[in-house]
Amino acid sequence: MDFLFPGGFHYPAIHIPSLSGEPLFASIPWYTNTHFTMLIVIVVLAGLSFLATRDLREVPSGLQNGAETVVGGLSDFLHSVAGDEGVKRLPLLGTLFLFILASNWTTIFPFVGQVPWLHKPTADYHVNFGIALSVFVLYQISGFRANGLGYMKRWFNLSGFKDGPFLGAIFILVGFIEFFSELFRVVTLTLRLWGNMLGGEITLGVMSALLIIPGLAFPFYGLEVFVGLVQALVFMLLVLMYFVSAVESHGDHAKDPHSAAQPAHSLAPAAH
Amino acid sequence: MDTAALAAGLAVGLGVIGPGLGIGILTAKSSEAIGRNPDAAGAVRTNMILGAALAEGLGILSFVLGILLWTKIR
Repeated sequence: MDFLFPGGFHYPAIHIPSLSGEPLFASIPWYTNTHFTMLIVIVVLAGLSFLATRDLREVPSGLQNGAETVVGGLSDFLHSVAGDEGVKRLPLLGTLFLFILASNWTTIFPFVGQVPWLHKPTADYHVNFGIALSVFVLYQISGFRANGLGYMKRWFNLSGFKDGPFLGAIFILVGFIEFFSELFRVVTLTLRLWGNMLGGEITLGVMSALLIIPGLAFPFYGLEVFVGLVQALVFMLLVLMYFVSAVESHGDHAKDPHSAAQPAHSLAPAAH
Repeated sequence: MDTAALAAGLAVGLGVIGPGLGIGILTAKSSEAIGRNPDAAGAVRTNMILGAALAEGLGILSFVLGILLWTKIR
């Protein structure tokens, strides 16, 4: 090792990204570097969508073409996964996907995560917890709207008792497990995105500081781009799955109460 | 303090074995499925990514545990 590290091995002095944001100014403790980077992401996304939709043409060109490709691709993808239900959730899920993707990809720009005043937003668990919690509330609301109070039957199902006490007890137990896995979804949504993104950010910081030859960290940048895309996709897909499982009725299909909540447009025959 | 560092490393290393095996099996099986029926490649790939995300969540939990232990050491 002597000829590789003539002066002895020392860990390079790098800025390891913190688990959550660090205050940007000492006088404003609540404004962290996460807020600052998130502001940049939001300004870029809003600016791009403003420029793309400023003068809409019948025959799209330039930026409008790109925006239509993105939105149309997302819509097709959601339709291929969940049919009409997916297209109905496009505004929410597409916004989430674009925001998470842009946040994940901030780290491939130099200095993000490597200087104290720039920090990838999705590598701060507060951001992910906020997104996961609001999505949780939204899909519970849409479950209640689609199924009425019968939505509670998935957690507290007493209908098994008419077939005997044993089956009733099993139904109660299953509802109990379902209830806690429901609560655990918020935690796993948060931690999956956060762990992946923080790990990627630390890897990039360490690799670009550790490897002596510049450019050897490049493969990790490719990996980071891929992981960022996959994690944004997975977040969107899981939220879509939660929406679908909340909206579909669990009881008998004969008295299906959610026909009033269906959207007017329909691109494919309904699943029921 | 030293045992805490050892525990952090072990928590991540041991906790990642299971999800690694799971994702390996998952990817092998879905490659097999795509090879058998290339028309269903899209659906299989979507399900594969979903399953891989669910399996990976467990590994990420151990990673988070390791990170939390690491912040205890510092």
